[in-house]
Amino acid sequence: MKIRSALLSAAAVALTLGLGAASTAQAEDSGFKIMMTPKWTGFPYFEAAARGGEAAAEELGDEFVYAGADHADVTLQVETLQNFLTQRPDAILLAAIDLNAVAPVLKEAMEQGIVVTTFDADAAADARDMFVNQMSYKQAAKTMLDCALIDAPEGGEVAFVAASPTSPNHSAHIKFMKEYIETDPTYQVFTVVDTQYANDDDAKSYDVAINLMQAHPNLKVIISSSAVSAPAGARAIAAAGRAGEVYSTGFALPDAIKSYLEDGSQKCFALWNPYELGYLATYVTHLKLAGKLELTPGTTFEAGKAGSYTVGEGGEIVYGKPMMFTKDTVDDAGF
Amino acid sequence: MTVFRRIPQWELLLIVLTLCAAAWSSNLSPYYLSVDQILLSTRQFVYPGILALGLAVVVVLGEIDISLASILAFGAVLFSKCSEVGMAIWLATPLVILACAALGAFNGVLVTRLRLPSLAVTLGTMGAYRGLAFIVGSEYGYTSFDSSYTFIGSTKLFGALPVSFLVFLALAAGVIFLMHKTVFGRRCYAVGNNKEAAWIAGIDVANLKTQAFALGGGLAGIASLVWIGQYGSARGDNADGSILLVVTAVVLGGIDINGGRGSMVGVVLALFLLGTIRNGMGLANMAGPTQTVVLGTLLIIGVLRPLIARGIARLRQQLASSGHAGN
Repeated sequence: MKIRSALLSAAAVALTLGLGAASTAQAEDSGFKIMMTPKWTGFPYFEAAARGGEAAAEELGDEFVYAGADHADVTLQVETLQNFLTQRPDAILLAAIDLNAVAPVLKEAMEQGIVVTTFDADAAADARDMFVNQMSYKQAAKTMLDCALIDAPEGGEVAFVAASPTSPNHSAHIKFMKEYIETDPTYQVFTVVDTQYANDDDAKSYDVAINLMQAHPNLKVIISSSAVSAPAGARAIAAAGRAGEVYSTGFALPDAIKSYLEDGSQKCFALWNPYELGYLATYVTHLKLAGKLELTPGTTFEAGKAGSYTVGEGGEIVYGKPMMFTKDTVDDAGF
Repeated sequence: MTVFRRIPQWELLLIVLTLCAAAWSSNLSPYYLSVDQILLSTRQFVYPGILALGLAVVVVLGEIDISLASILAFGAVLFSKCSEVGMAIWLATPLVILACAALGAFNGVLVTRLRLPSLAVTLGTMGAYRGLAFIVGSEYGYTSFDSSYTFIGSTKLFGALPVSFLVFLALAAGVIFLMHKTVFGRRCYAVGNNKEAAWIAGIDVANLKTQAFALGGGLAGIASLVWIGQYGSARGDNADGSILLVVTAVVLGGIDINGGRGSMVGVVLALFLLGTIRNGMGLANMAGPTQTVVLGTLLIIGVLRPLIARGIARLRQQLASSGHAGN
C-alpha cells in the first residue's frame, strides 16, 4: 500500500510539474528552469558561485537548482548532467572537470534544445553555447604581478609554481607574466629565476616552495595561479622562518590566506568574485533563453547588477574583474 | 522452521532492497519512474559493473586487484591509438582486450611467482599502468574517435536501451556461467576456500590465479570500449577514482573478501541496488556529501555481511531449538 501511494503521489507531482512547465513555456520571459553543477560541491568557491546564480535566478524569476558530487570525478559529473537532462531543464550551467568527457552528454542536451553555459572551466567549444571566463590570461598575469609588486616594491627574483607543464591556464599565465617582466617597465624590476610544478597538491607545493628558497637564496616572490600552491607557499615561508624576506602570491581563497595577511607574513593575494561570476553566468544564460542575447562577437549587453559585458570570439564572455586581497580588504571578500 | 531456513538468502535481500530503493526513488523524484529513464540510467553503471565482474572472480580466489581502473585507462588510450592509425574496430577490440589481459596476467605473475600480496602488487601497478596510459597517450586526451569505435558505448536502441547495458548483461551471464557451472569456477572456489587442500587435490593454484587476473584485465579492456563510446574521449586519468564503487559492489554482492564464498549473481544484484539508489538520489538533486554517506553505509553493510549472516544463523538455531523444546 505504501508503495502504491508513493507511486500515486509521484505521478501527481509529475503532473503538476508538467503543467508548470507548460505554462512557463508561454511566458518566455521568465520561469526558466536553470540547473547548475560545479566541479564539486562543498568548496567555498563554488558555493559562492551557486549563491550568485541563485540570486540572479531569483531576480529574473527563474527556477534554480544546484547539485553535484562532493569530489571532482568526471564520471560523477556526467552522471549529474544525465540526471539533469532527465529533469528537462531549459538550461544547464557547469564548471567542466574534463573538457572532452562531458562533451557527449552536453551535445545531447543541446540537441534537446537546452542552453549550455560553462563557467570557471570550459568544455569542448562545440558542446556548449557560452563560456563565462573569469579572467583573460593576460589580465590574470597582470593581476598576479601587481600583487608581487605590493609584496616587493623594489623588485627582485621571482619563481613560478604551476600545476603541470601542460596545464593550459597556468602555462599561459606564466607565458604572459614573463612577457610583461621583459617588456613592461612597471614589472622590469623582476627577474624570473625558476618554474616548478606541484600538481595542485598541497604537500608537493609546500616542498617545492622550500626547495625554491634553498636553491635561490635571493628569491623574493613565489607566484602561483594554483589556489592550492599559493597558500602552501605562504605556509612554507612561515615554517622556514623567512617571513618578511620571501613572499608567496597568486590566486587563493580568502579563508586560506587570511591568517598570513593578518599576521603580516604575507601582503597580497588575488582572485575574482566567484559570487558575481555565478551571477553573471546565470544572467547571460537567462538572456539567451529569453532571446535577448545574440552570441555574435562584439555584442554588448547589460547583466543586471554585474554591469555590462561584450561577447567575445566563440561565445566567450570574460567576467574580468580581479580582486586583490590585502590585510585591509580580505574581510570584505564576502566568500 | 523451513521458512526461516530459506529466507535469509543475501540475493533475496538485495532484490528486496533494490525494490525498496526504487519505491523510495520514485517518492524522492517525480522523474524516476519511467522505463526510458531507468534504462538510460544503467549506462552510468556499465563500466564499473564490468570491472566488478572481473574483480569478483579475483576476490573469490582470495586475492584483490585494485589496478583495474588503471587498466581501463590504458585500454582507452590504446583504442585511441588504434583509431588514430585507422585500424578497423574488429581488429582493435581483440588487440586491446589481449593487451589489457596481459597487464592483468602480469599482476597475477607478480602475485604467484614472487609470492607478493596482491594488495601491494596492484597498488603498485595501479600507478604504473596509469603512468603507462599517460605515456602511450597524451595529457591532452584524444577525441577524434571513428564512429565505429564509439558505437558500443554511445548507441541507444529504441531511444532508451543502451547497447552497453546489453553488453554488460551478456558478460554478467558469461561470468555467472563460468564461475558456477564450469570446472574453472569450481576450482576458483576451491582455491579460495583452502589453497593447500586445492593444491594437494592437483589444482595448479598459481596458474589458476594468473588466469583470473588475466580475465579481470580482459574485462577491463571491454570496459574501456564502453568508456570511449560513452565519454567520447580517452586520456590517462580515465576512470580514476572508480575503484571504490567497484569494490563496494563486489563486497555488497556477498563475495567474501577472504575468498571462497559468494555468488556472481549477488554482485550483479548489488550493482542494480547501487545503481537504483544513486539514480534516485541524483534525480532528487541530493547533496553530494549525503550521497557519499549513503554509499559508504552500504559498503559497511557489505563488510559486516558475514556477521549479519552469522547472527541470523544463530537466531535460527535458537528458534529451532526452542521449537524442539516446545515439541
